[in-house]
Amino acid sequence: MSDPETPIEMVVAYIRPDKLSDVKQSLAAAGAPSLTVTNVSGRGSQPAKTGQWRGEEYTVDLHQKVKIECVVADIPADDVVDAIQDGAQTGEPGDGKVFVLPVESARQIRTGASGPDAV
Amino acid sequence: MSTLLQVDPTTVANGINNVWVLVVTFLIFFMQPGFALLESGQVRAKNVGNVLMKNMTDWILGTLVYFVVGAAVVGIVGGLTSGGDIAGAFGHIADSNAWIGWLFGAVFAMTAATIVSGAVAERMNFDAYVLFTVLMVAIIYPVVVGFTWGGGLLSSSGFLGGALGAGYLDFAGATVVHMCGGVAGLVAAKMVGARKGRYDSNGNSQPIPGHSMLLAVLGTFILAFGWYGFNVGTQATILAVADDGTLTFMGSALGRVALVTTLGMSAGGAMAMLTSARYQGKPDPLWTANGILAGLVAVTGAVPHVTWWGGALLGGLGGFLVLPAFRFTVDRLKIDDVCGVFAVHGVAGAVGTALIPVFAVGGFALNQFVLQVVGVAVIALWTIVASAVVLAALDAAVGLRVSEEEETEGLDEGEHGVSVYPEFVPSERRDTGVAADGGELRTDGGSDVDADTGSPAPAAETGVTTDE
Repeated sequence: MSDPETPIEMVVAYIRPDKLSDVKQSLAAAGAPSLTVTNVSGRGSQPAKTGQWRGEEYTVDLHQKVKIECVVADIPADDVVDAIQDGAQTGEPGDGKVFVLPVESARQIRTGASGPDAV
Repeated sequence: MSTLLQVDPTTVANGINNVWVLVVTFLIFFMQPGFALLESGQVRAKNVGNVLMKNMTDWILGTLVYFVVGAAVVGIVGGLTSGGDIAGAFGHIADSNAWIGWLFGAVFAMTAATIVSGAVAERMNFDAYVLFTVLMVAIIYPVVVGFTWGGGLLSSSGFLGGALGAGYLDFAGATVVHMCGGVAGLVAAKMVGARKGRYDSNGNSQPIPGHSMLLAVLGTFILAFGWYGFNVGTQATILAVADDGTLTFMGSALGRVALVTTLGMSAGGAMAMLTSARYQGKPDPLWTANGILAGLVAVTGAVPHVTWWGGALLGGLGGFLVLPAFRFTVDRLKIDDVCGVFAVHGVAGAVGTALIPVFAVGGFALNQFVLQVVGVAVIALWTIVASAVVLAALDAAVGLRVSEEEETEGLDEGEHGVSVYPEFVPSERRDTGVAADGGELRTDGGSDVDADTGSPAPAAETGVTTDE
């Protein structure tokens, strides 16, 4: 049983799609293997690309990324952030960002456990 | 009694036979979209445009090169390896009566060339591929045809065939076309190297699923449709003229090639389905599709020569071998043959052609069997050596492989500057040319602080402003 007062936090990260397997590995190594991923498109520091169709150009400023959501309680969110950065960094613009959000409550559907235990 | 219309039976037969050849030629041409779909479905969405470009290039450059060079190389090699005459090698270029026959040969050449692109998908430099396909159609494939159909080395008049007192049997090109393409693909896949991520650090293969099994299976059916032209159409004589002028319809010969082609593809698909169910626990659509093609390849050389049940057995064997041959290629040889062209076209072609005498309508003949095995070996050896030499030269000249960054981003973007499946294309453009807040493209991190050094990262070199 975790201390019911342990804060629950959600780590949200946007990373390069081809870095997903590295990040999964580093998250598992950090003790936080559970995650949800979504294919997303977004704009940040990565330069816009130019697409072309029959010689006419169009700007592609929304790049394909993978969004990762990872909710933790017993594992410090900082460790999770470090793990994601370790796995996802190439040093080029477009590596992505990581955000940490407080989570008000949690419930595990199968067991009905609440709070940190549900995480 | 009415008077029969006086016609020359030879003219009637020639007319019908040549129109038949043209019709099947167009059917064989339709294998090109089949290959394009089959290969597109087996690669990731970011490389589809590159696969399509390679398939189109095979056809458009291949036909030009085969007309000017390739068809002549067939005649030269055929003459040189049989003690024959080579003076007329370029004769087809000026003789309009030779052009139907040339086109019929050309669609086979382009089939061989296009097989290679499936093996080297997703990482080969486009320039190198284009040059390879030109040399494949100009030299590598025509030499094989010269050895066989061109009356050279392996034919009954050639040095090897003559010595064994037999002519190499490969009716529509199970080895001449398919094994040649499959083996060239294997060599090319080896020399280009595996795709990034295909093998982990321990050398174990990691799957890279293609983006559409639907396209792959649709392409398989289109290929099988065109294959009727390939196999049945090689029975090019449908009306034969006897010395006394009577016309005979070659229904029996046509029926045999049509039936054996059908039984071969079905047995191949069935065996691959069963093999995949046994090996993976469930029948697998892609293996079944590959098995249909391997069954077709296995009987392509055999269709007029074997019994109907022999054809079914050959096709079934080709289909059965697809899965183990592919796993051997990937797991033991460590060659990343993306579309399994060696298993489908190489192995099935070799086995199906070597075993023709075992199922021959006229019974087993040892000298024929020896020639079949020797012929398969000669064609494979030539293809391996010639492909390796050509690829090594191209590696030195232009490089066989795209950069690692380009491979990650996809060859559609890197080689061709396109996206086959574009997302979020602006629905309306502003005067500034980019659709972004304030009329200018703003990114919030163009002067992002580098995490390690604490200094600003270099601004993006796209001429866009940032508002940090």
